Amino acid sequence: MSVVVLLGTRKGLFLLESDAARREWALEGPHLPGWSVFHAVVDPRDRTIHAATNSDVYGATVHRSADRGQSWTRAEELGLPEESGLTLEKTWHVEPGRDGEDGRLWLGCAPGALFRTDDGGETWQPVEAILGHPTRERWHPGAGGMCCHSIQLDPDEPERMYVGISAAGVFRTEDGGENWAPANQGTAADFLPEPFPDVGQCVHKLLLHPGRPGRLWQQNHCGVYRSDDRGESWERLEGNGLPSGFGFPLALDHRDADAAFVVPEVGAENRVTCDGRLGVYRTQDGGSSWELLTDGLPQRAWGAVMREGFSSDRLDPPGIYLGAQSGSLFVSADAGGSWLEAVAQLPPILSVEAAEWP
Amino acid sequence: MAVVVLLPSLLAGEAGGRNRFELDAATIGDAVRALPVANLVLDERGELRRLVNVYVDGVDVRDRDGLATPLAGGETVRLVGAIAGG
Repeated sequence: MSVVVLLGTRKGLFLLESDAARREWALEGPHLPGWSVFHAVVDPRDRTIHAATNSDVYGATVHRSADRGQSWTRAEELGLPEESGLTLEKTWHVEPGRDGEDGRLWLGCAPGALFRTDDGGETWQPVEAILGHPTRERWHPGAGGMCCHSIQLDPDEPERMYVGISAAGVFRTEDGGENWAPANQGTAADFLPEPFPDVGQCVHKLLLHPGRPGRLWQQNHCGVYRSDDRGESWERLEGNGLPSGFGFPLALDHRDADAAFVVPEVGAENRVTCDGRLGVYRTQDGGSSWELLTDGLPQRAWGAVMREGFSSDRLDPPGIYLGAQSGSLFVSADAGGSWLEAVAQLPPILSVEAAEWP
Repeated sequence: MAVVVLLPSLLAGEAGGRNRFELDAATIGDAVRALPVANLVLDERGELRRLVNVYVDGVDVRDRDGLATPLAGGETVRLVGAIAGG
């Protein structure tokens, strides 16, 4: 078994491979040269790599590879219907379906769009209930556009899933995507006249804990939050060790639903890591307290980590992977205790995903 | 008579490495739609993407009839990404 890390960058997709020790890494790529890879993921059901790819000139699409990057196929059908009055701007996140949902994947896009495929990524159909959501007129784009960047599937309830859209908020469906209820109660939107609206929040990243399905975490424009009731209510968690509530990335520990990792930035108007260093903050008590992790991370840095630039694997202890805008990937093989720089001088890293490869 | 269509490198990569196509087409739109990279050159409305330029024998089709620009045959059609990006 090896671990393969997919690094989506501004200039193509790189693969890094290691054994389970996760200390020595071999670099491969770039694949998809010239494309900005906003997110790439291995579908654990068939080992196909799916990549959300964007070009300033040639638009937004999705590529897939069944041979680990040696050859690629582009989606044939991907666009918004004419009656929506919208055109596709960017592809942001690919989420494989569950075991048994053969051929199904989900794709988050801008402007505020969710697509589904049932043929493994050849053709994608927009989810009409998101496109025509009754609150849509109160959604607004963030600095990165109105992006649907987070898609989380409940592992036990096949009809339940969540999406995060900036700046619309978190939405939950209980019927496989036919209806979507806002799930933003208690999350702030300090940039709006009404600070706690039902929609309009700028969620930056949303994750569902795989071992405790009602537990969600989110890094928001306005704070770090935890929910224990499927997003019905949220508890704000900073002020107890975190230097700032602002940031983009979020990672979880699959073994421990009370653990989470964030990389705070100074604030919306100064988007660099806090205190002139690249610091990862970890909680192991559900967000009651946070500790700074720095062993092996740069002690002088004014960095940035994108919303997809942080992830964890499913080994024990889990590996944590931090891809920086500076083009370095930092890896911790011990759940954040110590870090090593696995690779440097890549193009700006946009996304990181780790997969076990047989 | 066929026209020759030349692709820039990223589009050629998406067309299996091929950067030159000879095809029969009555208009620029017909020529572009016949390419295996048509959905990168045109958006979902079938419109030419804003930053893609198309030249027929050196003339920008936006200065003529856009995708409706007629082709008589024998022309060279060059697709070029606008000078943009980072």
